[in-house]
Amino acid sequence: MLEKWLLEVDSVSKRFPGVQALSNVQFRLRPGSVHALCGGNGAGKSTFVSILMGFTHRDTGSIKLRGQEVRFSTPRQAMRAGMSVIQQELSSVLDMTVAENIYLGREPRRGPFLDFPTMNANAAAVLGRLNFPIQPTAKLRELSLAERQLVEIAKALSHEADVIIMDEPTSAIGEAEVERLFETIRLLTAEGKGVIYVSHRLSEIFQIADSYTVFRDGGFVETGAIKDIDRRHLIRQILGGDLKDEFVKENTPGATRLLEVSGLTRTGHFQDVSLQVHAGEILGIFGLMGSGRSEFFECLFGIAPADRGEIRVKGERASIGSPSAAMALGMALVTEDRKESGLVLTSSVNDNISIASLKQITRLGFVPRRREAQNVRRMVDYFSIRTPSVRQLVRNLSGGNQQKVVLGRWLLTDPDILLLDEPTRGIDVGSKREMYRFMSNFAREGKAVVMVSSELPEVLGMADRIVVFRDGRMAGTLTRDQATQESVMHLAA
Amino acid sequence: MDHALLAAYARRFGIFIAFLVLCFAASLWNDNFFSEGNLINVLRQSSINGILAIGMTFVILTKGIDLSVGSVVALAGVVSASFATLSTQMMITDLFGLDIGAGPHWVGIAIAFGLLAGLLAGVINGVLVAYFSVPAFVVTLGMLSAARGATQVFTDGMPVPALSPDYRWIGTGELFGLPSPVIILAVVFLVGWVALTQTRYGRYVYAVGGNEKSAKTSGINTRGIILSVYIISGVLAALGGMLLAARTGSALVQAGQAYELDAIAAVVIGGTSLAGGVGTLFGTLVGALIIGVVNNILQLEGVQAYYQLIIKGGIIVFAVLLDPSRRQGS
Amino acid sequence: MKSLITSVSLAALMAVSSGTAAFAQDDPIRIGAALYGLRAEFMQLWAAGAESHPAVMDGTVELTIFDGNYDALVQQNQFETMITEGYDAIIFVPIDVEAGATAVQMAYDAGIPVIGSNTRINTDYVPQVVEDGMYQYVGSNDVLAGRMEAEAVMADFCDAGGRVVIIEGPIGQSAQIDRREGNEQALAECPNVELLEMQTANWSRAEALTLMENWLTSYQGDIDGVIGQNDEMALGAIEAITQAGLDVGDYSIAGIDGITDALVAVQEGTMVSILQDANAQAQGAVDLALRHVLGEGYEPMSPIWAEGDNWYNYGDEMPWNGGADAEYNVPWTPVTQAIVGELLDARQ
Repeated sequence: MLEKWLLEVDSVSKRFPGVQALSNVQFRLRPGSVHALCGGNGAGKSTFVSILMGFTHRDTGSIKLRGQEVRFSTPRQAMRAGMSVIQQELSSVLDMTVAENIYLGREPRRGPFLDFPTMNANAAAVLGRLNFPIQPTAKLRELSLAERQLVEIAKALSHEADVIIMDEPTSAIGEAEVERLFETIRLLTAEGKGVIYVSHRLSEIFQIADSYTVFRDGGFVETGAIKDIDRRHLIRQILGGDLKDEFVKENTPGATRLLEVSGLTRTGHFQDVSLQVHAGEILGIFGLMGSGRSEFFECLFGIAPADRGEIRVKGERASIGSPSAAMALGMALVTEDRKESGLVLTSSVNDNISIASLKQITRLGFVPRRREAQNVRRMVDYFSIRTPSVRQLVRNLSGGNQQKVVLGRWLLTDPDILLLDEPTRGIDVGSKREMYRFMSNFAREGKAVVMVSSELPEVLGMADRIVVFRDGRMAGTLTRDQATQESVMHLAA
Repeated sequence: MDHALLAAYARRFGIFIAFLVLCFAASLWNDNFFSEGNLINVLRQSSINGILAIGMTFVILTKGIDLSVGSVVALAGVVSASFATLSTQMMITDLFGLDIGAGPHWVGIAIAFGLLAGLLAGVINGVLVAYFSVPAFVVTLGMLSAARGATQVFTDGMPVPALSPDYRWIGTGELFGLPSPVIILAVVFLVGWVALTQTRYGRYVYAVGGNEKSAKTSGINTRGIILSVYIISGVLAALGGMLLAARTGSALVQAGQAYELDAIAAVVIGGTSLAGGVGTLFGTLVGALIIGVVNNILQLEGVQAYYQLIIKGGIIVFAVLLDPSRRQGS
Repeated sequence: MKSLITSVSLAALMAVSSGTAAFAQDDPIRIGAALYGLRAEFMQLWAAGAESHPAVMDGTVELTIFDGNYDALVQQNQFETMITEGYDAIIFVPIDVEAGATAVQMAYDAGIPVIGSNTRINTDYVPQVVEDGMYQYVGSNDVLAGRMEAEAVMADFCDAGGRVVIIEGPIGQSAQIDRREGNEQALAECPNVELLEMQTANWSRAEALTLMENWLTSYQGDIDGVIGQNDEMALGAIEAITQAGLDVGDYSIAGIDGITDALVAVQEGTMVSILQDANAQAQGAVDLALRHVLGEGYEPMSPIWAEGDNWYNYGDEMPWNGGADAEYNVPWTPVTQAIVGELLDARQ
């Protein structure tokens, strides 16, 4: 294949009712390279990927694959032509085997029957080519999230795809698995394949990508080689303005212990966790996927029961059997997965913000509309949530604004201890900074933040102390001064 | 205006506009449609289904389903009616040696026991769904069978006939020129509407249906809420059963068969999502009235009942088809 | 409240132990009754009739009643059970005329006689069974009942003319087809009577109530008579008329079956009901079954075969004839004020 470009996109536009999602964007992908597609929420990246894969159709413009003009009307056509996508939300069928998932819809047959031996052998070959230690006959349900993602990659490869689009591939996996993913990507590019890498995580982009293209508000901004730019430049292009500092940190820890945990254990998830959180402090908890950090939060907040151990809140021994008990003690939990456990997607911004604090304002069970509206308005203003109306369904908001809705919900309960699980996952650089500012301000008022994150720069940038989890146990605690990328990773893995 | 907001308004009022168009078309078709007597007929004929559908709305809002309402209609009907016949009244008087005489107070006792039967069915449904995590479809399918069987056992398969005029008033009486079932429907609707839209409880129902995990994390007693909606459905089914018995003059073992399907149809036509978290009681009320108007106009015009079933089936699917936000995968 | 089956077997047990069996047998004769369903009053009366047959009461017969749950397949399965268990005879009330021939053939192949009751089967499919006398039928002629009730409705205005509506059973069921035929025969004799509407309410009182309400709107004061193909639906029509504030006395209304509520209505003078004698259909079937088991000399034990002045002695109109006829037609009895009190007492 001697074409200079694997994929050439020119002047593509797409209009949805009420919004110009893309206008005149261009994009070039070289064979054997990784090209990062960057942009904030609403930049048009998702629409662009949908058009490439034939999920939606462009209004104008041209797309050439290996020099040939193409126009896919279905994802099936796109895949036949050698395009493949690995999506944020994995589309695997959990109760099927790895091989069945890889060959879903194009199973090898012998007569009218499925040819399982051939299917498993083919799947084993593909997995072997990628050095994935996964059994073709394992059920997807038994695999970890990261492994499921590897299966998706194997699926893409089995299609003999030349262009592989990865949409936020690391949003659900930990650092170690990210390394494995990068190895795989290098393997793919060595075979001459092109990878389009869509991610909010700038550090990853600088690690893996060769070139980059930035979209902003549906328009093309610039393209170039990664080696020619720095992080600051990329942020500036994505935001369309200067970002003074990536992190905001103005709090100082005090001496009062707001939360003390000693010997907390939930068998099979985490063991003997003991830590203290002080007023005015941001405590970071770092750990790889499966290190028990999310389960620790669930126990603290009364969602799951602990087997052993003691929790003290403001010096008082506390027994937390349900989330409402935790809330009564002044705790709040922003869960890891906005869509799955955070938001009520079918409800409005208003209802989502007020739901947790209704108990405090209702009289005889009735909701006082004016009081509620004032509260919600205060949160919308405080977090500058961008929504046409508080009656808007929350599902129509961007990721960053959705996250602010969840924060608003919990701020209204007037908590003293805020538990944040992956608070910046899947939101853009601008929204991230607002999140950091909020955390800092919250702690400055003499309250405490406990933040779980698998983004190391964020933990290093925001936390006063860092507790590292490994395999369900505390591997160590580092102060802000002691903590470096190396020292934290050393404890975690 | 914003697209999503427009869709929300279309969902809320589109069905009402469709209803008005339907009424207009019906009046062109048949001169008697808009007569006062006929409109009252439509209301009266829609009232039992309307009451059942209101209970069903609460259940479906939490992502559940209650297939047992038809059987609970029959069970509550015979339980309640048995206290409204002279022979049972005498039997109880003999049994307990407690003569409280005949009279309207028996109606109160009859209603209380009927509601109790519905409450019991609802509690069993709700506890199994909420606390034992058995799928609602399975639990209420079991109750559909069990409640019908209990009705048969209770009556030995014989109808409970000759209900007292006092008792029959709740199904046949009039108040302010309106039939009593219509008044009861209006009261149930109003209470239900207030509960769903003006109270914390209503918000919790929507939240539990929209995202149970989120609701739980927000400090809501999600199991309690789920239990409560099955109780509401059971009690309203009992109310419907008593109205049916009072209207027809006797409580029958085979009463209320397949009523759950009409109730679900009204809820779905009214715009409530079977996926939970989305829907209004107003829509359900209009949905019940649409079914009532369609039955009425087709009967006025002498269309055979089996064609009516086909047309009703078409309307259910068409209502969902018309509303793009309710189609799958969008 | 006790279940039917236990009460029957309990009665049998008591009779056997007290040694009063008329026919000294080591084991009681086992008869199975496959009924299409027990949810309506008529079949409950049928079951009560069968269990009060003298031979059941004295323990000669052990009667087991099967509830077919309105499902032809369930009934067929029950036949298989009875054949495997080696029942001496089967009484069969199928859900529909067209739905029972296979089951009867199976019993025939196993050498078990089948007595049809209330609803016949289509004997065209099993001519050999009928020829060998292994399928007999006791029931009432629905065409006749349809004719009688329509005549009763139109008695006052057949010549002068009037307007009637018919509320039908589920379209296609044999009772509906036959009763409609009878209705139409009667209408043909009253050319001045206009048939305004004919629709189904599926035997249901609640559905008939709605239907009649809507007809009252359509035809305002024009309806003179209501022909309900069963009592439930006639009662529904009465409710609609009463609740519309109209006078039931202005309408001529009739139904078929003689269910308890209808008897009350007859007593009040608001309708005519044609009694279908469930008791006779059941007891007649038990006697025919016994003749198969005990031989040709068997004399029927039920009072229904007697000749006499009581309305329930059908000996004149339905003679026993040695129990060899292929078909026995239990006569219909119009419920009159003279017998309604007696009937109601029997239902208590």
